[in-house]
Amino acid sequence: MPLDVNRIISQIDALVAEVKLRRGDFVKKLDLATNLMNSLDKNTADIVRKLEQARTTWLLAGIKGCINQSKKAGCLPADFCVIGSDGSHIDVDRHHSERLFVLNMAVIYLQYGSYPRAEFVSNPTLYFGDENLNIRASDGRQIAIEGPLLGMKRSVEECRCLADMVCVSTADLPILGLLDGSLIMWGLVSQRYDDFVVNELLQNGMLPQFDRFYDWGKDKRVALASYISFPRSTDVINLLRMAICPFTPIDCDRHCKGKFENRPCDDVDGLTDRILFNKILNKDERSAVFISRSSINDRYGKHRVCFFYLKLDEEVARIEIPQWVADRSELLDFVHSAILDQCQKGFGYPVCLSEAHELAVITGTDREQFWNLLDQVMQTDQPGLQSSLKQRSKKLRWI
Amino acid sequence: MDLEQKIGEVIETSNSEFLTQCYKLDDAPSLGSMVKTRAKEYTIYGVVYYSATHSIEPGRRIIARGRSAETEEEVYKANPQLERLLCTDFRALVIGYAHESAVRQHLPPFPASIYAFVYNANHEEVKRLTQSLNFLNLLLEGRLPVMTDDVIAAFLRCASQAYESPRDFLIKAGKELAWLLSDDIRRLDSILKRIN
Repeated sequence: MPLDVNRIISQIDALVAEVKLRRGDFVKKLDLATNLMNSLDKNTADIVRKLEQARTTWLLAGIKGCINQSKKAGCLPADFCVIGSDGSHIDVDRHHSERLFVLNMAVIYLQYGSYPRAEFVSNPTLYFGDENLNIRASDGRQIAIEGPLLGMKRSVEECRCLADMVCVSTADLPILGLLDGSLIMWGLVSQRYDDFVVNELLQNGMLPQFDRFYDWGKDKRVALASYISFPRSTDVINLLRMAICPFTPIDCDRHCKGKFENRPCDDVDGLTDRILFNKILNKDERSAVFISRSSINDRYGKHRVCFFYLKLDEEVARIEIPQWVADRSELLDFVHSAILDQCQKGFGYPVCLSEAHELAVITGTDREQFWNLLDQVMQTDQPGLQSSLKQRSKKLRWI
Repeated sequence: MDLEQKIGEVIETSNSEFLTQCYKLDDAPSLGSMVKTRAKEYTIYGVVYYSATHSIEPGRRIIARGRSAETEEEVYKANPQLERLLCTDFRALVIGYAHESAVRQHLPPFPASIYAFVYNANHEEVKRLTQSLNFLNLLLEGRLPVMTDDVIAAFLRCASQAYESPRDFLIKAGKELAWLLSDDIRRLDSILKRIN
C-alpha cells in the first residue's frame, strides 16, 4: 500500500508550527555566533591554547591562521582542466545464490581555454570470488565487503579512477581533481573496524591515490578536493561552543555530564557551519581554512584533511582538501576559483560532478536488468533456484 | 565509399527510410540533399527530409546557457561537455539503390545496415539517380511527418546543382511533376512555387 498522504498532512502542519516557534530563537543564536566569530579573531592565540587543553564531546575544528578570514576568488588560469569522478554500485544481494557486487565508475574530464574538450569515461566492474569480496587480515580474519564497507570501497575506487585520468591526461595544464562527498572516511570512525580493514581501505586504498596527486602537485599545479553540498557539519560552531564555555579547563564530561540542554554552550545549539557562513561570507567568497580534528584524520599524515566553506549563489558548500593543498596558496586559490567556476557553469553544482553522476548512476531498471541477465545466463549453465522465494514474492507482487 | 568523408551512421532503419546520427553536432546535411549508405552489397540512396539536435538522454532537458556570453561559440567553449551530451540526427527517405553497375529507382531489397556509415552523395551519383525521374513518385506518396512538398522542392533544387545546367534539370523535373500531379493542380502549383 502506498503512503497515506492524507494522514501525514496534519503532521506536516505540526512540523511547520514547530519550525516557526524555533525561528525567533534561531535569529538570536545566529547573531551571537556572528559576534563570537568577530571576537575570536582578535584572540586567536587564546583560542588555540584553549583548544589544545579542551576535552569535549564535540568535534571541534582545528585552527589554521585567522578564524574569521574571508577571501574573494582569484582569476582562473587561461587554460586548465577539471576532472570529476563519481560512482554507484549494486550491493551484494543476500537473496541471490551468487555473492557478487558491481561498481560503476564514471570520470569526466573537462578542459577549458584555448582547446576546450571533454572526455567521458565509465567503467562497470563485476566483483566475484572470495578474494574480491572480502578484506582479509594476515592472520586469517576476514570481513565481507558489503553495505557501508562497499560504500567505502567505492570511494577508494572513485579516487583511483580520478587519479588514473590525471595520469593519462597529456595536457600540461593546471588540473583540479574533484570528488563528491568527504575526503574523510567517516565510515571507518563510526563502525570501529579492525585495523586490517582500516589499513586496507585507507593506508593501502585511499592514501596511495592521494600520494599520486601529491607527487604530481610537486612540479605542476595539480590539486585534489572534494565537494560537499548542503553540509550539516558543525566543526566551527563547536569552536564557538568552546569559546562560550565558562569552565577552565574545558571538560564536558566533568562539568556537564548527563546534561543535554541549558548548558552555557547551548546558546549556539541548532546552528550549523553552513548557516553561520551563509551570514558571514559574501557571494563567491571562501572562509578561512580549518583542520578536521576527527580521530581518523591522524592517520592521513601529510594528507590531513582541511576544509573551508564557499558561498555560492544559492548555497554554502564545504570544500575539503588535503593539508598540502591548504598549505600552498596558489593551489588553494585555484581550487577556490575552479570550483566556483564549475558551480556557475553547472547552475549551482560542479558540472564535472553532475555529469559524472549522470554517467555513473545505476537506475532501478538497470538493476533489474542486471539481475535478470545474471539469472538468465546462470540458468543456462546451472538450472535451479537462483534467488530466494522472498525475493521472488517481492518481484511478482501477487494479490 | 570509405575514402569519402563519412558524416554519421545509421541508428534506426527500415526499407523505406533510415535515421542517421551525425558525428558532429549541428552537422546534418541540408534538407533535400541526397545521402548514401550501405545494405550488404547494395548502395542505398536517400533524401534528407528531417533533422534535429537534441539531448542524448531523453529525460534531460536542454536549458539556455548564453545569457552572459557574447557569442554562441563562447557557450560551447565554456561548456565542452555539451558535445558529449547533445547529438544531431537526420532522417532520409530511401529513393533508390545501386547494385553492381545498375541504378534502381525503387525500394531496395534490404534496409540499410544498422551502424552503416552514411556519406553525402557526390554529383555523379546524384546525376545517375536523377537521369530518370521515376523516383518522384516515391517522394510524392511518402507520408512524411514534415511538409512533403517542401522536401520535394528542396531535393530538386539540391539535385539541380549536380548538373551543368540546373535550369534544364528543373524544367525536366517540372514537366514530370506536371504529369504526375495532373489531377492536383493546387499541389503542383505549391511545389513549383517552392522550387523557384
